[in-house]
Amino acid sequence: MQQLATRRDLETTRKQLLLDRKKIDKTLIICGGTGCTASRSQDVIDTINQELLMQDLDFSVRLRITGCHGFCEQGPIMVIEPGNIFYCHVTPNDAHEIVTKTLRDGEIIERLLYTDPVSGRKIQTEAEIPFYQAQDRQLLSKNREINPCSLEDYIAIGGYMALDKVINSLSPEEIIHEIKVSGLRGRGGGGFPTGRKWTECYEAPGDEKYVICNADEGDPGAYMDRCVLEGNPYLVLEGMMIGAYAVGATKGYIYVRNEYPLAVKHARLAVQEARKYGLLGEDILGSSFSFDVDVARGGGAFVCGESTALMASLEGKVGEPRPKDVHTVVDGLWHKPTTLNNVETWANVPSIILNGAGWFASKGTKGSKGTKILALTGRIKNTGLVEIAMGTTIRDVVFGIGGGATNGKAIKAVQTGGPSGGCLPVDKFDLPVDFDVLYEAGSMVGSGGMVVMDESSCMVDVAKYFLTFLQDESCGMCVPCRLGIDRMLEIITDITEGRGTLEQLDLLEELADTVTQTSLCGLGKTAANPVLSTLRYFREEYEAHITNKKCPAGVCKALIEYFIDPEKCTGCGKCKRSCIHSAISGEKKEPHVINAELCQKCGICLSECKFEAIQVK
Amino acid sequence: MLHYVTVNIDGADIHAPKGSSVLDVALEYGICIPHLCHVPGLSDIGACRLCIVEHITNGRSVVTTSCTLKVQEGMVIRTNTDRIKRLRHNIAELLVAEAPNSRAIQDIAVRCGVKKVRYPFRNSNCVLCGRCVRACAEIWHANAIGFVGRGKNRHVERPLNMREEFCKGCDYCIQLCPMTIPPCDGPMKPGEEYLCGKCESQLMITEDIPDSCAWCRLGEGFNCGRYAGLKAVR
Repeated sequence: MQQLATRRDLETTRKQLLLDRKKIDKTLIICGGTGCTASRSQDVIDTINQELLMQDLDFSVRLRITGCHGFCEQGPIMVIEPGNIFYCHVTPNDAHEIVTKTLRDGEIIERLLYTDPVSGRKIQTEAEIPFYQAQDRQLLSKNREINPCSLEDYIAIGGYMALDKVINSLSPEEIIHEIKVSGLRGRGGGGFPTGRKWTECYEAPGDEKYVICNADEGDPGAYMDRCVLEGNPYLVLEGMMIGAYAVGATKGYIYVRNEYPLAVKHARLAVQEARKYGLLGEDILGSSFSFDVDVARGGGAFVCGESTALMASLEGKVGEPRPKDVHTVVDGLWHKPTTLNNVETWANVPSIILNGAGWFASKGTKGSKGTKILALTGRIKNTGLVEIAMGTTIRDVVFGIGGGATNGKAIKAVQTGGPSGGCLPVDKFDLPVDFDVLYEAGSMVGSGGMVVMDESSCMVDVAKYFLTFLQDESCGMCVPCRLGIDRMLEIITDITEGRGTLEQLDLLEELADTVTQTSLCGLGKTAANPVLSTLRYFREEYEAHITNKKCPAGVCKALIEYFIDPEKCTGCGKCKRSCIHSAISGEKKEPHVINAELCQKCGICLSECKFEAIQVK
Repeated sequence: MLHYVTVNIDGADIHAPKGSSVLDVALEYGICIPHLCHVPGLSDIGACRLCIVEHITNGRSVVTTSCTLKVQEGMVIRTNTDRIKRLRHNIAELLVAEAPNSRAIQDIAVRCGVKKVRYPFRNSNCVLCGRCVRACAEIWHANAIGFVGRGKNRHVERPLNMREEFCKGCDYCIQLCPMTIPPCDGPMKPGEEYLCGKCESQLMITEDIPDSCAWCRLGEGFNCGRYAGLKAVR
């Protein structure tokens, strides 16, 4: 590929690439994202490569290793074009068959097709799968069209067109106006209007300004930023460049957590390639705009996802937040005006510029526009990354896309927004995914984590889990966060272990309120949300723990007891053999009994018993 | 030349030098805002959160720490509203439950209206106010001590727990430490801690907002902001 020194170079390169690509019509797309790599997609790629070589197809079939497709539980995922044939759970042993039958002869291998868990039928293409059907994949759909390591792929699908438009025909004010009108709000959790942020940074005095991409995603179970950054790093870069041009920044940083090795690798590669071809550096595309990006790795602190802590970390200091009485858009990195946005926010920018603010604003609700990527996990049939238009109800996400509960259990609640969010009960499932509505309901959209829980989850235990997480991750600087979370956890532990009192519940509520109002940074200010929301919607569960000393879901070990129903027990002895604490005794073909003193409540016997004879009370 | 702005703190219009913090201005003017991590002359980090005030902007009131809030023209600050009192009470309660063996903390707690501690006492030796760390770094540029660990494991430590040679032996960290003065009755045994604060509670009987708090007498020892202010006036 030639140097892209001017906008004409970019156009001719794009035309040339498209022309070249028309020659090969068969494309084999294999997901090489983190999720599929964990299901050994690298082995599949290797064997497919060998097969293609052996069958002399390596020149007529293009093999494209892409980023995440979103349906990670079905991985490794493979899509064959033309025809959009969707194969899932592909193993290296299937390689020969796929290449011979599907690629050479055009036959479809039934075995590898996706089976809809709701209806049980086999589905051939991605578009027909209910999981994908209900989504509005504006960002995620690009992932499968490109190899994240290839700048050519990105240019071929129209990459850097938005940048070209911005540099050549728009003034910074016009860009900011466009973003403002589009109604884009921060996707990292706060939901702050991006246009307003950019305006403040643009208006802030100072000739040296920075833009930062926050990819320090740390919520348990959430991985949208990882997926976007590792699947489409150039898109994020382009968004950052447009932002930098708008606010007047000359330097950008991508702060990505070190636990995302693939995202780090792809981001670094993207920056290197862009520099090599002149898309980063001095006088980009023949204009006077100069911009460069560095990739910084986070050291594994959750709190570094908070803007000021992130900046402290970038400055080489300990990753601790500082008071934000003066906003970071005025006094940010190295006390210079800084615009910090989340990966997803940056990734939305190019399409807003290209398609117009009206297009973006046509999706979503009054206060929340566009689409949002959610990490849908928990006790549902389909899990993975889903992208929906804002305003889709939680019910549509959980039951429509997610396919409802597994094992026929009733769904009890959904936890949105990670440790900063809250739990919403089933009767709130008609609420739309909307920044303001979910905030009103005591939860938040947050970065987009969505954990579905069924009746086997104890809400007190859920609150305890998140508090334990936050207690570990709090930087410990300010009193309400360090001591407040610690004391809340102490109270909740008391409750789950049967020592709780009703007065403690009031104290817990008051403490949660204090922590929310007085903590220094966003981590502390939202740390009490799991407690407050579970107290609001599931108070009866707390009370059952306190007054009846019982855990209704059978989770809290101190409050439950395992016993064997003598009528159901066949005396097969499986539980007796599986018990590692030797707590089960009984003769063959006679009902067994559990010695409550020896029982450690590990639950192994419960999962071993085939006759549902072991029960929890 | 000093520029002045007018701020309204608790109803009083105060002419304050631009760039100073709300806490400094209030203390100098005689409005005592309880505080722990603030030391005159050192940078403010807003760690103890005791000096919270309500900052009223555009009809909305925001709770923020006065030590990190810089005065601006036309600012409206309320330091002693019911909401602030309640929050401050809860923070002081957390602190005194953590470290009952400090007279300074005991007095702060009672001053903030803590009558009963609802958490089990813990008897820590440090409340992580960071006075020592900042004094060491900012006055002497010695950096002989610093914070190590995060969350529950955060503590003050020498570099790598071994490099003692950075310490210049100035003892300033000890002078500033709120943990150095035990309650009048002597150190409490683990398991027998109680809320003391006798000195302060006597003052509380006669006046709602006491003119001089126990901190003022203790203040010299650990450099209470108000003590420094009063000394300047005298």
